[in-house]
Order: sequence, then structure tokens, then C-alpha cells
Amino acid sequence: MLTNELLNGYCPDSNTWDEMYNTGSVRQQYSGVVDFLQRLSIEELGKKEEQAKRLFMTQGITFTVYNSGEGIEKIFPFDIIPRIITATEWAYIEKGIQQRLKALNLFLKDVYNEQFIIKDGLVPLSIIYSCPHFLREMVRFPVPYDIYVHIAGIDLIRDNDGSFYVLEDNLRTPSGVSYMLENREITKRIFPDLLPLINVRSVMEYPNILHKNLVSLAPRQNSNPTVVLLSPGIYNSAYFEHTTLARMMGIELVEGRDLVVDNHRVYMKTTAGLQQVDVIYRRVDDDFLDPLVFNASSALGVSGIMSAYRKGNVAIVNAVGNGVADDKAIYAYVPAMIRYYLNEEPILKNVPTYQLGNIEEREHVFKNMNQMVIKKTNESGGYGMLMGHSASDKEIADFQAAIIKDPRQFIAQPTISLSSAPCYMNGKLQPRRVDLRPYALCGPNGIRIVPGGLTRVALREGSLVVNSSQGGGSKDTWVLAV
Amino acid sequence: MLSRVADSLFWMNRYMERTDGILRMLKTNYALSQDDLQYFSWQPVLKIFTFLSDEEAATIACQGRTVLQYMVSDKENPNSVLNIVTQARENARSVQDHITKELWQCLNDFYHTVRDEQLLEWLYKEDPITALDVLIKQGLLFYGTADITMARGEGYSFMNIGRFLERAIQSANILDVKFSDSKFDFSNVTDTTYWRYLLLSISGYELYLRKYSGGFEARRVVEQIVLNDHFPRSVMYSIDQVSRYFERMKSEQTTSAYNSIDFMIGKVKSRVRYSTPETIMQQGLHEFLTGVKNDLYAIGTALSQHYFAYT
Repeated sequence: MLTNELLNGYCPDSNTWDEMYNTGSVRQQYSGVVDFLQRLSIEELGKKEEQAKRLFMTQGITFTVYNSGEGIEKIFPFDIIPRIITATEWAYIEKGIQQRLKALNLFLKDVYNEQFIIKDGLVPLSIIYSCPHFLREMVRFPVPYDIYVHIAGIDLIRDNDGSFYVLEDNLRTPSGVSYMLENREITKRIFPDLLPLINVRSVMEYPNILHKNLVSLAPRQNSNPTVVLLSPGIYNSAYFEHTTLARMMGIELVEGRDLVVDNHRVYMKTTAGLQQVDVIYRRVDDDFLDPLVFNASSALGVSGIMSAYRKGNVAIVNAVGNGVADDKAIYAYVPAMIRYYLNEEPILKNVPTYQLGNIEEREHVFKNMNQMVIKKTNESGGYGMLMGHSASDKEIADFQAAIIKDPRQFIAQPTISLSSAPCYMNGKLQPRRVDLRPYALCGPNGIRIVPGGLTRVALREGSLVVNSSQGGGSKDTWVLAV
Repeated sequence: MLSRVADSLFWMNRYMERTDGILRMLKTNYALSQDDLQYFSWQPVLKIFTFLSDEEAATIACQGRTVLQYMVSDKENPNSVLNIVTQARENARSVQDHITKELWQCLNDFYHTVRDEQLLEWLYKEDPITALDVLIKQGLLFYGTADITMARGEGYSFMNIGRFLERAIQSANILDVKFSDSKFDFSNVTDTTYWRYLLLSISGYELYLRKYSGGFEARRVVEQIVLNDHFPRSVMYSIDQVSRYFERMKSEQTTSAYNSIDFMIGKVKSRVRYSTPETIMQQGLHEFLTGVKNDLYAIGTALSQHYFAYT
């Protein structure tokens, strides 16, 4: 069978925006890839898929699942067909994310200081104080350059008319950026010479920009500050990412046990004694950061680190307490924040979100359960979700009971269909739903978004859940220059 | 450098050195078992490289394939190649930002190779030497990659201290166990096959032939394995290397720690340097080797106290 037939056999759902096809014809941005694929036989394509798997395995781009005492190496599933974004689409996304992050940073500053937005009645007080990620420890603490969110992974999806929606703002410790970088290295090998031919923009700058931003946060006047990446250790599923980033930035990868606080300063234990640390890019959640302040049983954190932070002796990236801004209930207020702080109309749309504490909205949601997605406000990774269109009556009843018991814990959104993109599976090209997570970096000199991102794929047919913990995979994301 | 990182690099190389020692030992002993018309016992090999008691070892000592399986891929054996390569890889994984990408990939490949079903099939059912050679080559690749790609910094020094400390202990151990076979009565060992394979197992056979043309003699074997400066697996050579890499650790901040370990290395170095085969025999080979081994263990302990302590 020739690849030609492979392409002909591809039929996306008519009610869905497909990234490659538009009513039977290939979109302009995909023509280069389609030409390339048409020159291949199915066998060659299968070989390329094998090659990709082998590359991931030999490079150790794996995460370990610990089962009955023995670690099993797993690859984060990767689909070889890239997802392509045009220059126009990207310019729009870039502007939209910059605007959104600017507002979210201002919101965090406001909510931990004067709380104008609450006093002006735009965001209810109760919703802030009932958020477990609102941390009193951060109140009236001036973070360097007023930047709370240094690294954000904003999840975007496309509805059936192709318009972009923000699904989630990840402002705490968003992960996956190493896959953006590694996926690109793999597609370079799989599609030789194709990237320069169709003008795909490079993502290589990411570690440099991040490193520059981290260095600029150093509190001491020091030309060569010590910047470290704090990881929970090798048992963390994102450990590969931590090592990759540390290596690419040339910074020290540390674990909590490598650090010690003395007189409100953070030091790392080296073979030549203690060395003061200036900036910590932490990949440990707030709750585990400091056993003296937060979760007392945490072995991953460093005792006393919060006091060093509040004294201004060390910078922590992302800031502590950001969870109050990416809480799923507070998400609904982001468009209002953009209007309030920036006096601009939001560029990127929010998915309509129903607050279940409001009786009218709740009634509406309960009447239309099969068209709704119910999410727990404080869960992530695709846990604690109910997809109304595929849920059983019992699941729906259980969720409804839980909602009535504590409405603050849930929000409801109408089901957005998610765009589809072609994936090479079992020798066939098949449409699968995708989202897009670009990574934005905020530094003292503004917000930069590396042209690319992580395209996550729901590998199961018809599934709308792309999270890797729910069987999702990824694709390389090509942003075109022209 | 972080203490934890130094610790991991040190142990990564100790484990790799041990892997190499075990694999070579298995390869030559398997070959020997094919040469030996009478009863061949794996007892000494088990004694050098496993934690089995003499009785436990005796139950499998004459079943070659069982021993190979136990020493290469048995998950219950903490010193099996599978387990120590896994350990080395875990160490490498936690310091991936301090070793080169090439070195990490090399060790990662080793890890996947030692789990390869087909390879293990060869080891247990077909010709084990083919499989052992594949594994030995992976180890050589590791050393070569480290040599070519790693920066000559503190990390590289700790890696080499680990490697040569392990090697010195191993060579002393091998000699000790092999001679204890003959109750340290050297006139007892007249069978030349025995010597040949002992030297082959630590890649010292050819050197021996060139240097001592008069046939095998216990005194000369001891001289080569303990004292020969030019034999890369001799105790003397290995201690010299430990000393050489440790000297690079000298710095302003850690003078007292440095001095105490420098003293210990100097002491064991002199103990070996100023011995002759005659004085060693006089003192008793077993006593001499035990003394050297204890000194080497003490250096390991001191290193972890002064440089690796991070808890």
C-alpha cells in the first residue's frame, strides 16, 4: 500500500476542526509534510516510528513506573506526524497569552497585597479565601520585580469552528517543556531536511531565555550567582525533564537533602563546604517546599526555606502561592481581570464556566448534565473529572450529590469538542484529539513565548482527555515562520 | 560540587569496575570449565563476588549455568551484573547533569542490554562467551566514552578514585581467595592451567609471559598482581591512580579533610611500594592482603565522611 492511500483513508469527524484537512483538502500549512509522506511507503513510515521509539529509549527519555519493587521504563507515547501552526495563528496565540499572563501576574500581586479587585467587587472574597492554594505566608511579601509567574504553561484547545480557547492556566510548576525540546530533536531525524524547507521556527532558545531570567532574579550583587533546580528526585515522573533542563542551562540539580538553611540563607552542601544559593527554580509543589511552614511530613523540601525567601535572601521560581490564580473556580474571572487591570478586551476566549454555588447556574448545569464537563477545582492531571456525554447515570448522580454537598469544589463547563490531528497508528492515519501547551517565560524584560509547545494527544479513539496520566501522548509542534 | 553528586559519581564507577571484574571472571572461568576434564568448581568465583555462605555456594558451585544465571541476572543477588548495572545507572540518573549525555546514553544502553531476553538466552542455553563478550564490550564503551567526553574536573577525579579503589580491592581479593584454595601452600599449586586462568581473568596473562619467561611460579604471580607498576590491574598501579586523582582534590577550603585522607593513601601506598615478593611471603600473603584491604576500606569510609556526607 502506498502512503497515498494512507492519506485517502483519513476521515476526520465532520463536526470537528481538523488541523490537517478542511472538507477533503489538505490545509496549506500541511502540504510540505503531506508531500514528504507521499514519497514514503508504509514500511518506511513504520520504520520511522520504530526509529523514534528507539531514540527515546536509548536516550533514556523515559519515566519509570515502580511496580512491585521493580522499575519499568516507559516512553511517553510519541506520534511522529507533527502538528503545524501557521504564522498568523501563532501571532494571535502569542499576543493572547502575553495579555493573559500580564493580567494574571497583576492579579497575584493584587490579591496578596491591596486586594483592589475584591474591594471593587469583581471577584468575591469567599472564592479567594476558600482556595487552599491561597497562602497567608505570601501576604504583603514583595516578590522580585513583582513577577509571580515566571514560567507558565497555558493549555489551549480549538472548538469546531477553529477558534482558540484557554482550557487551563498552569501557573505553579508546569511540566512537559523537555518534551517540546526532545520531540524536536526526534523529528529532525525523522523528517530530514524538511524543517528548513518549510520554515519551521526553532525552539532551542528556551533554556537560554529561562536561564537569563533566573540569573536576573539573584538577590545578591554577584556577577555569577548560584542558580539551582530543586527536584523531588529520581522517583519523580518528571525527573528526566529536571535533568534535561539543568543540563541545558548548566545549573546545579539539587534535591531537598542537598540544601540547608542557616541564618535565613540557603546553602548547598558541596565537597568544598557550604555554598550559598541565590535562585531556586523549584519543581517541588508549594505544599512540600518547607516542612516548617507547610506539610510537616515533607521530606522533599528544605526546612526554613520560606523564611529565607521572605527575607529576600533567595529567589524562588515560580513564586509560592500561585495556585490561587490557576484555581479552576477563579479561572472564570480571568476575562474580568484582563478588563480590570489592563482595560483591554481578552484576546483568547475562556471556556464558559458555571459556578455551582450559584443556584441558577447549578440548575442549568443539572438539567444539561450530558453536555457538561464537571471538574474538581483543585485537581489536575485529568483526575476528578466527569465527562457528561459518556458518564453513566450512577456517576452523574454521585457527582450531583457531591456538588450539592460542597459546590465550591466543582465547576461545570460545556463540552468543547477539541480539534483533531492525524496520528500514525497501527499502519493507518487516524484523527485524534489534541490540545496545545505553549510555554511562556516572564522575566524583568517582558514575556517571551518560544514558538512551539507541547501538543498533547488523546490516543484513545473519540477521547477528549489528553493528560499523560490518562493515556495521552504527544506530538512535535511546528510553528511556521511565514 | 554537591556532596551527593560526588558520592553518586564515585559509586557509579565502583559499580562499573565491579561489573567488568565479574564479567571477565565469568568468561575465563567458563572457558576453564570447558578445559577441565575433572570436576570444576565455581566456589572461588562465588566467594569473591557474592555474599553466599560457603554452604550455599557449595550447592551450586558445580553447575556452571546456574552460577552464570545467579551472577548475571538474578534479581535476588545484590551483586549480580543486572543489579549493579542498575545501581550504576540509578547513580548516573541522579547526576545526569554532571556526566556527558554520551556517557549517560552508554550506561542506559548497558542497562537495556543486560535485560535483553535474547542475550540472556545465549548465556544460559547457547555459547555464554558470546553473550559475556557483548556485555564486556558495553563496559569498555563506558570507559572509552568517559575518557573521551568527560571534563577533567572534580567529578572525573571522584569517578576515577572510585574505579581504582574498587580495582585495588578486587585484585587483592582475587589473589587472596585463589591462594586460599591451596591453603597458601605455594608448592601445592603445580597445575599451570590454574595460573593461566587466574592471570587471564584479570587480563594479565600476556604480560606475564613476556616478563617471566620461565614458566609459572607463585612468587612471580604475586609480584605481578601486587607489585607490578606496569600492570593496570595490579594493586600497586591501582593505588597509585587513587593517589594521583586524589591529589587533584587539594583545595584551600578542605585542608584538614584532605590531609587526613592523603595520609591514609600515602600509608597504604608505602606499605605496598616497599614490599618485595619475599617480604610478603615472609609476612604471609593472606595477612599482607588483609592489611592492604583494610587500609583501602578505611579510605572509602573516610571519603564518605569528609566529602560525601550530606545527610
